[in-house]
Amino acid sequence: MGGKVTCTLGEVKNRADFIVYWGGNPAECHPRHFTKYTLMQKSKFLPRGRKDRTVVMVDIRETKSVKAADIFLQVRPGKDFELMTILRAMVKDQEVSDEQIAETGLTREQLTDLIARMKGARFGVMFFGMGLSMTRGKHMNSAALLTLAAEMNAFTKFVAMPMRGHGNVTGADVIMRWQTGYPFGISFNRGYPRYNPGEFSTVDVLVRGDTDCAFIIGADPGATMPQPAIDHLAKIPTIVLDPHVTHTSRLARVHITTAPAGIAAPGTGYRMDEIPMPLRPALESPYPSDEEVVRRIKEAIAAKPDWMGQQPQMLLSQI
Amino acid sequence: MLRIIGGTVYDPANGINGQVKDLFIDGGKLVASAAEGRTIDATGMVIFPGGVDVHTHVAGGSINFARAMTPEDHRRTQAFIRSQTRRSGIGGMAPTTFATGYLYAGMGWTTVNEAAVPVLSARHTHEELADIPIVDKSCLVLMANNEIMLDLLEEGEYERAKQIVAWHIWAAKAYGVKAVNPGGVAAWKWGKNASQLTDPIEGYATLTPGSIVTHLARIVAELGIPHPLHLHCNNLGVPGNISTTLETVKHLDGARAHLAHLQYHAYGGDDWDTMKSEAAQLADYFNSHPNLTTDAGAVLFGDTVTISADGPWQHLLYKLTGRKWGNLDVENETGCGIVPYTYRPSNLVNAVQWATGLELLLLIDDPWRVFLSTDHPNGACFWRYPEIIQLLMSADFRKECMAPLPTAIKNRITLPEIDREYTLYEIATIISAGPARALGLHHKGNLGEGMDADIVIYNREDDIARMFGHPRYVIKGGEIVIEEGDIRETPDGREYLVKPFYEPDTEEFLRPRFEDRYCMSFENYPVEMERIERSQIQACASPDSSDSPQ
Amino acid sequence: MEMKVIEHATCTFCGCVCDDIELHADETRIHQAKRACVLGKAWFLNHTAEHKYPDALIDGRPATVDEAIEAAADHLYNADMPLVYGMSNTTCEAQKECVEMADLLCGLVDSHTSL
Repeated sequence: MGGKVTCTLGEVKNRADFIVYWGGNPAECHPRHFTKYTLMQKSKFLPRGRKDRTVVMVDIRETKSVKAADIFLQVRPGKDFELMTILRAMVKDQEVSDEQIAETGLTREQLTDLIARMKGARFGVMFFGMGLSMTRGKHMNSAALLTLAAEMNAFTKFVAMPMRGHGNVTGADVIMRWQTGYPFGISFNRGYPRYNPGEFSTVDVLVRGDTDCAFIIGADPGATMPQPAIDHLAKIPTIVLDPHVTHTSRLARVHITTAPAGIAAPGTGYRMDEIPMPLRPALESPYPSDEEVVRRIKEAIAAKPDWMGQQPQMLLSQI
Repeated sequence: MLRIIGGTVYDPANGINGQVKDLFIDGGKLVASAAEGRTIDATGMVIFPGGVDVHTHVAGGSINFARAMTPEDHRRTQAFIRSQTRRSGIGGMAPTTFATGYLYAGMGWTTVNEAAVPVLSARHTHEELADIPIVDKSCLVLMANNEIMLDLLEEGEYERAKQIVAWHIWAAKAYGVKAVNPGGVAAWKWGKNASQLTDPIEGYATLTPGSIVTHLARIVAELGIPHPLHLHCNNLGVPGNISTTLETVKHLDGARAHLAHLQYHAYGGDDWDTMKSEAAQLADYFNSHPNLTTDAGAVLFGDTVTISADGPWQHLLYKLTGRKWGNLDVENETGCGIVPYTYRPSNLVNAVQWATGLELLLLIDDPWRVFLSTDHPNGACFWRYPEIIQLLMSADFRKECMAPLPTAIKNRITLPEIDREYTLYEIATIISAGPARALGLHHKGNLGEGMDADIVIYNREDDIARMFGHPRYVIKGGEIVIEEGDIRETPDGREYLVKPFYEPDTEEFLRPRFEDRYCMSFENYPVEMERIERSQIQACASPDSSDSPQ
Repeated sequence: MEMKVIEHATCTFCGCVCDDIELHADETRIHQAKRACVLGKAWFLNHTAEHKYPDALIDGRPATVDEAIEAAADHLYNADMPLVYGMSNTTCEAQKECVEMADLLCGLVDSHTSL
């Protein structure tokens, strides 16, 4: 179990005749997702566009996106994992009791119908949003959904994809993977990358007071993080790079204004399906780019004596 | 300037077989003499041209997907601690980019060819290639499942298809063309495969895998690309697939081709229970067909992660193993699948695979046409190449390794009957001179005057794996990068590209077809030239010249 | 006033990263972001090339970029366990510099993903 069965967004546009959004609200959070990639597009294989596609919305409440769906399944809050587990069982014709189904807030008829449609699809896709990945169960929910999609391939073509938000967070994931092997939550304390979310992830590090200096770029934790984390940011030297003076800037020791990415700074950004896009800035900023400022800070640090010494080192295996 | 004095030189490109010869380096090239500079006394040592890997997966969406899927391996494996001049890294099954450069250079390889790049994410591949230090690089663009091209072939528009291929090579900033499971990856988009070379592909009325092979090989030849079609045949890994492989090469109609990871395509039998090696039969055919080169795709026992554009095969592997499964379909172009895997000597299928790779290397008689590879990381990780060299050079060591294999392996392999032992000269051919020539990189794998000063100096040792795993010196572009087991310098390598000719109206022809299928702007699709760091464009043969580039 | 038109511009506000935006801009601001959604339009139109904020602030007081870079480098260098965090609203090129800096510092590096 585990892994991820996915595709680029153009595959959805070209082939997906069955589309599930689970815990996501694209109409308000990714407004062009429907029109550019999923519902509305016509293709060689789906010449009638929307008419050739079935759209299912799974959520705890009726969001604006639900209007665009053919079927809405209102799952009881906090019961996503149970629902996915039941679906995984029913897909394989395993027995599930009525009580277990009732707990999810849905009926056996709804689930039987959903599974028939999933199996009857030529190409199914499940998009999942923060309503799934950031609520009770968190990454276990994401894993359950990815597994359901993988297992559906015993019957028909099926893929899954997270609805990544927050600008270029996908780019950060991709780059950290090729440079360190890990996607986030990385420590270089021993001179090589180690990974342990919970230990090295930012909120945990801040709440425990483990870090004694924070460099914040392209984010405003002062506005979004839990109060104990913010309190620690205010206590230690915090450095902020941002096109605006943000909440975090106000509690920081150093703020540097930078040119906004893609508007006044060139470069690359990754789409949620990990396709890199060139940025074409329209303005010339009076401020330097993030890239330039970070490089200069890095060079200023590199110019200082290195406590690691000169001798190259390698570990044949880690403990 | 640098002088290497008194070493025993193996330079197959110039027919030099173990002669004591001084080498002189200036400006990153080998020269006739050098008056000054550091002198390395290589007396008693063995000198090879730097290794060249013709087929590996080290950069881009698929290997990066594999990295994401194997954190448990990263945390137990080799780690490179950063120094003032060198980035940190993690080795193992899917090494980080920096570690990839250190590990290749650390065993004397100085040029690597990334074998599978979709145009849609080629920008990503090049960013990773730029982060692989020391070695020179090139990459191949995936074309055999590009539906725009397949549609044209189905419509009988061969000339247009050729223009489209040329355009895509340049759009991806690639060095050549790779075909993976022709038609099969396109069929996988519907959960199907293409297993019969003469059956129409899912979604097409007449187009067959066989005709894709015929046309694509001809296109690559007519465009004058230095490296011939790099071909991953249909039915990879399937028992009895030798018939597919033989039928595929017949569809080349005599055109040149490089057959990737041949080990995975050389099986007899009808199912997993009856699977056996057909390396001897395949080697026989291969020996009499000089239009072909190949790399072994050898397997070593142990843990690895398999990654392949062959989506249907990876789905089968997931079903067989029940382990993690990653899959990424790329619109219009290709796909990839990822499954962690452990090759075990006690597993009959794995044991047959292990023997098949070695048999091919030992039974193909021309070392200029068969090259060392593991299809990294599929058969084993590239940093285990020295173990394969030991297996090739020592029949006794092979016997030792065969002892623990299941007894049922009898009659399924021919390895026990093979006595051949590779010489140093032949090893230098299959790891350097041969792959450099097959890639059309004539300044590589060659210690003649004017060539790139990529040189490996080994201590002569009885322990062959140790000797090749720990060269005394590695010189890249005239610079000493490895010395006494330490990484001295991490210069940035070059990237090789080709720019084949295409008709100026190709873009206008392509645009509407592109916009039908993709969901990004046509203008943002090609990789900009300025994104390629230290690029070097290699010439294509002129279209009217009938010679293949040699 | 002459408008500059940028075709096939890319919007990095959300994960869709639409790259078919047509921007009409003068020297200080973007006036039109054709084909962008409501979120994208707000994103493009709210950023300007005006000098609205000080170049840099050190302890709340305006400073030059050079001074702020030195101050940032000192803080990071003197820390035992520095943290590099965020990297959402920025380019891959800047992200690469961030990871390299964290490597150099033997520090922590983390993105929005961990939230």
